[in-house]
Amino acid sequence: MTLASPSRPRQRQRAGLRPLLPYIVCIGGFLLLWQLLSLVLGVSRLPGPINVVADTWNPYISQPFFDNGGTSKGLGWQILISLQRVALGYGLAAVVGVSIGGLLGLSRFIGKGLDPVIQVLRTVPPLAWFPISLMVFQDATTSAIFVIFITAIWPIIINTAVGIREIPQDYTNVARVLRLRKGEYIRNIVIPATVPYVFTGLRIAVGLAWLAIVAAEMLKADGGIGYFIWDAYNAGGDASSSQIILAILYVGLVGLALDRLVAWVGRRVARGTN
Amino acid sequence: MASFLTVDDVTQVFPLANGGRYVALKDIDLEIAEGEFVSLIGHSGCGKSTLLNLLAGLTQASSGGILMDGRQVTEPGPDRMVVFQNYSLLPWQSVRQNIALAVNRVMGHQSASQRQATVEQAIAMVGLGPAADKLPAELSGGMKQRVAIARALAIRPRLLLLDEPFGALDALTRGNLQEQLMGICQESGVTTVMVTHDVDEALLLSDRVVMLTNGPEAEIGQILEVPIPRPRQRLEVMDHPQYYQLRTELIGFLQQQRRLRQRRAEREKELAPAATATVQSARPSAATSVRLGVIPGLDIAPLALALADNLFEASRVQVVTVPFASWERLEEKLVAGELDGAITAATSPLALALGLGGQRPWPAITPMTVSRNGNALCLARSFLSMGVRDRESLARLLGQRSEALRIAVPQRHGIAELLLRHWLAAGGLDPERQVTFPVLSPMAMHGALRSEQIDGFIAGRYRVAEAVEDRQGFVLATDLDIWSGHPEKVLTCSEAWAANHPETLEALCVGLMRAAERCDDSGRRPELTRVLSQPQWLGTRAAIALGRQFDSGMGEPPRQLLAFNRYHADRAHIPNRAEGAWILSQFSRWGWCPFPSNRLELLAQVYRPDLCDQALAAAGYPVLRPDRHAFSLADGLPFHQDDPLAYLRSLPGSPQPPVAQVALPESRPTVPPSSPASA
Repeated sequence: MTLASPSRPRQRQRAGLRPLLPYIVCIGGFLLLWQLLSLVLGVSRLPGPINVVADTWNPYISQPFFDNGGTSKGLGWQILISLQRVALGYGLAAVVGVSIGGLLGLSRFIGKGLDPVIQVLRTVPPLAWFPISLMVFQDATTSAIFVIFITAIWPIIINTAVGIREIPQDYTNVARVLRLRKGEYIRNIVIPATVPYVFTGLRIAVGLAWLAIVAAEMLKADGGIGYFIWDAYNAGGDASSSQIILAILYVGLVGLALDRLVAWVGRRVARGTN
Repeated sequence: MASFLTVDDVTQVFPLANGGRYVALKDIDLEIAEGEFVSLIGHSGCGKSTLLNLLAGLTQASSGGILMDGRQVTEPGPDRMVVFQNYSLLPWQSVRQNIALAVNRVMGHQSASQRQATVEQAIAMVGLGPAADKLPAELSGGMKQRVAIARALAIRPRLLLLDEPFGALDALTRGNLQEQLMGICQESGVTTVMVTHDVDEALLLSDRVVMLTNGPEAEIGQILEVPIPRPRQRLEVMDHPQYYQLRTELIGFLQQQRRLRQRRAEREKELAPAATATVQSARPSAATSVRLGVIPGLDIAPLALALADNLFEASRVQVVTVPFASWERLEEKLVAGELDGAITAATSPLALALGLGGQRPWPAITPMTVSRNGNALCLARSFLSMGVRDRESLARLLGQRSEALRIAVPQRHGIAELLLRHWLAAGGLDPERQVTFPVLSPMAMHGALRSEQIDGFIAGRYRVAEAVEDRQGFVLATDLDIWSGHPEKVLTCSEAWAANHPETLEALCVGLMRAAERCDDSGRRPELTRVLSQPQWLGTRAAIALGRQFDSGMGEPPRQLLAFNRYHADRAHIPNRAEGAWILSQFSRWGWCPFPSNRLELLAQVYRPDLCDQALAAAGYPVLRPDRHAFSLADGLPFHQDDPLAYLRSLPGSPQPPVAQVALPESRPTVPPSSPASA
């Protein structure tokens, strides 16, 4: 008993660190490997993690929101520019996708007829849309937004339609026995029952949208995180590879944050359903 | 009693993915009174839930219909509220919202405050006040079920439909909820139909328990009344003197159904290789020949006509009739496998299957009834001079003398003997003490009467007519005075033969049915008389009697032409299990065997309406079913197939035969060994 009391705080301390241990070990190991690889290849070809931080500390890490006019902006601004485009394209895709998906789900006829079209178009890679949208819109920014829209819309349509078709028989039976009107049926049963499916689609879509925006901006845009990467590559300065690596890291983190955000909203909206 | 809910001849067929059809329910007839609590019980896959969905209107019957208050149920509606098996609460709405959704929709004409009060009242009724704002996911199974029941009752349905409401709950919760449900139903007086597989639950809650047979083609096997007074308490119910008898009945039914299912599965396994083999070997050869045992008489008229008019499809069946003079010999040859089938007395399939008279049980089946009616009881003319005019005067005479009356019957344990015994007992006579029943070949009866070996006989009406023409006897009664429409002759064969020769059997039945329709046609009577007067049937002498008017021999002028049997009209062909149940009740009444506790299993094995239906369909006749109503013989006592023992108790002397499980005959694909007596 006497021995037990001093050992308790130590145990608690260990318990506090233990959950983090796998991250520390694995990420540390990854960074170490990267640094070693950089040493082998030479810093000019692949900067190690230490070089990346050192090269980009000023201004990119320390001042994310500097603005020297033109396209010379901090990474925070660049990401915000990209996010703005995503918000437009993705928001449009969500509204149009849920509407079309709802139509396909509620009408067996339309659902069946349009299914082949959807199955073909959804496999088209995002960048394949880019030339045609440039020809149509004659504007790089609008085209980028359109590419996001057309990339993100398919999983939303498909999941919404499936969600409506998969409404459990039990709920439709309840609606039939109570003779719910169409409006009541959609409000009380179709929408709540379909929400989890819609959010699965929205979550897949947000990942795809973020993929597409970076690619589209690299091809042709003013500003944005994709533009920044391509610009750094073209500049070819000493720090450009470090800048690219830092931007890639930011792209990944923002993508993760978007995914989690949509998932969180989905959980909040679909309360009660599993 | 005007029925509130009527299920009228409902059949439900589902198309299968492979293009076939699955007949889930077949010819269901059920009437439910207002305020009644009815349970549907049966093994899984018997179509209980299918029937419930039909009542709800969620699905439509393939044929037949459902009437509520005289109006057909064509769509679901809140007056027939369902409590689904898995609660079907909307998971995104709280308890209160779930109930309010139903109340607001159904009672939209009421004010908002009234509706709110209804919702709160429903929540309070099932004691869920504290949980009213919780989501279903936060509730236990029992609580969810209570919400579902509250939702259903809040909208005041006229019919409450419960689909295994307590199946997923633990025993304690189930018990509490059952009592709650019972109280609620009693208070609201709502008519309730509940699907369950729990025997005790069914007995506790129900006024009647409807037992369904196995699917496919599930039908109502039995209906059990639960005469336990209300209000009921679980413990009091279990102490009720009839509780265990009812429970045994229910469990017995379920066990019999399980064994039938196993039997069917084994049979299919056995037949699968055999069927392909017979098909291959049967193809090249011509029609299968059937050796059919008969005793010539008016009741085999369809066979005679079918042969004369070539009504058997020559490419499928070749009928060879083997005439006999005594029923005993015929049955010996049938059991020995020397005959493929026979036209026997209606009692024979059951008597053979039970092995009455010390025989080994033989797997007899009957696919169709060949004729109905046609018997008459004839006494020697000397009784006329002793003042015997009817049953009452006969009873007076026998009461005065010690000598027993000798009435010949064509067969021991036959339908004629059963009818005769029943009629005598109904008139206050004691068939065991005051009458003896010597067995004589039908052909020998007339002669025996003349030589005064017997005092009378019961036989086909035309044989009686002969005796009357000879001024030997007079007619004391016909079967119209005993049981009008009784099954007289049936087609009998072994279960194995029927299974191995389905096409042949169908062709045989089709031919007999087509001929039977012609036999019923009075316009063809001269033609029928001509066919029957051929020597291999009745011969010219007997046929003359057919052309004359029926003389009772009591001095009154003959009134009408001799009435023939009924062969076809009014569902005559159906092998009716209810009639089989009556025959079993009589077997046990006279002490020939105990009353079989597994009678449904026995009847399902012996009576094969499925084969009859196939043949009726193949012949192009409507496939009709007997109704389940009680029928009565001329004495007016109702016989209900669901409670034969109550019928027995209502008979004179209130016989209470022992009830025991009887061994069912083993059916082997090979011919069973012949009994030693057949030499």
